[in-house]
Amino acid sequence: MKHLPKHLRPRWRYLAVGVESWSDDEVGRRAFQRALWYSAGNLLGDAGSADADLTLLSFSHADGTGEAVVRVRHGHVDDARAAVACVSEVDGEPVGIRVRGISGTVRACEERYMGRATASSTQRDVAFGSAERAAVVRGDACDLRVESGRVGATTFDIE
Amino acid sequence: MYEAVHAYPDGAATVARHAATAARHGYDGVVVRTRDALDAAGSDHDGGVEDGGDGHENPVSAPAAIREEYGIDVVDAVEIDADDPTSASGAVGNYRSDRTALCVVGGDDALNRFAVEQARIDALVRPMSDGGDFNHVLAKAARDNGVHVEFDFGPALRATGGKRVRALADLRKLREIVSDCDAPYVVSANARSHHQLRAPCELVAVGEAVGFDAETVREGLRAWGDLAERNRERRSEGFIQPGVRRGRYEEDG
Repeated sequence: MKHLPKHLRPRWRYLAVGVESWSDDEVGRRAFQRALWYSAGNLLGDAGSADADLTLLSFSHADGTGEAVVRVRHGHVDDARAAVACVSEVDGEPVGIRVRGISGTVRACEERYMGRATASSTQRDVAFGSAERAAVVRGDACDLRVESGRVGATTFDIE
Repeated sequence: MYEAVHAYPDGAATVARHAATAARHGYDGVVVRTRDALDAAGSDHDGGVEDGGDGHENPVSAPAAIREEYGIDVVDAVEIDADDPTSASGAVGNYRSDRTALCVVGGDDALNRFAVEQARIDALVRPMSDGGDFNHVLAKAARDNGVHVEFDFGPALRATGGKRVRALADLRKLREIVSDCDAPYVVSANARSHHQLRAPCELVAVGEAVGFDAETVREGLRAWGDLAERNRERRSEGFIQPGVRRGRYEEDG
């Protein structure tokens, strides 16, 4: 189809979103997109969700950290931010989420907010409280397992 | 802006992890609601890892050490979750003198009533959870006693379906009553792990989506910090009563 004249083309904003999960959880692109749409649908309703659009343009996730570029219709950035904040689980796994910044082009978004080097993770036993625990240490963050479940700690706690 | 969190063993992240995440999110401080997670400010412990002694193995740390490590203020608070006003009253008496901030968990008409009528209590948290109710009488009492009423954004962020609808309806009711009576308030996401923490901008956006003013949410987040500052001043050496401090005589002032 012939493309639209410039004044009829939708204008977009691009949200750089940082994602954090437990280090042994996998967060997939499709699952994340679905969680975004569900969250927008539940918070903003069908109409608001269609307005905001919230299309995932790029997504990467490994070792418990990830990042994404989410396309949002210009003028609905606040709604989109609220919908993004309401994503608390992806496929039943808890995720932490943060909007790092907003740009007018994908390129600016990627250059300014994405691709920060993340520290590589190592698996080792650490002393937590008065016991040895298996943990995954990534930079300052340290995810470990105790009897009651998983605990997020930092190197400050295990020294 | 400050955020109040549940730390390990009540939540799934230690105080240090909460502090690190909150610092990245742009908060000025965290209020730790879990008593077992943090030493009281001004106590003799110098931080680090230590054994609870009663077989409960928690890394307990001093607020000052974490503050230094992550450059973010850490407030030692306690959240009193009692079954009835009598036991809550005992706990308030026990912890008031050694904790900077003191919150009482509501969710029950008698407890809500008790909390707003005690000037010793800083905040009534989750007043609408578990079928609790709030009205203009309680809001006026909260205003007179300076008890902050909490707007709990937890269900708005994490619940789904009918549960969330009810929580949002309660939030709206609470908002209308509190703003009408001009009662003080605080806002929190009630994070139980570092994943549940949300940045201030995000909370403002969610607040706006569910009917709050942006400035109301910001004010509610700042109120935790104001509370901590006020209580620290009250617990400092020279404080006698509001407006009266022990100082030096002025020479021929």
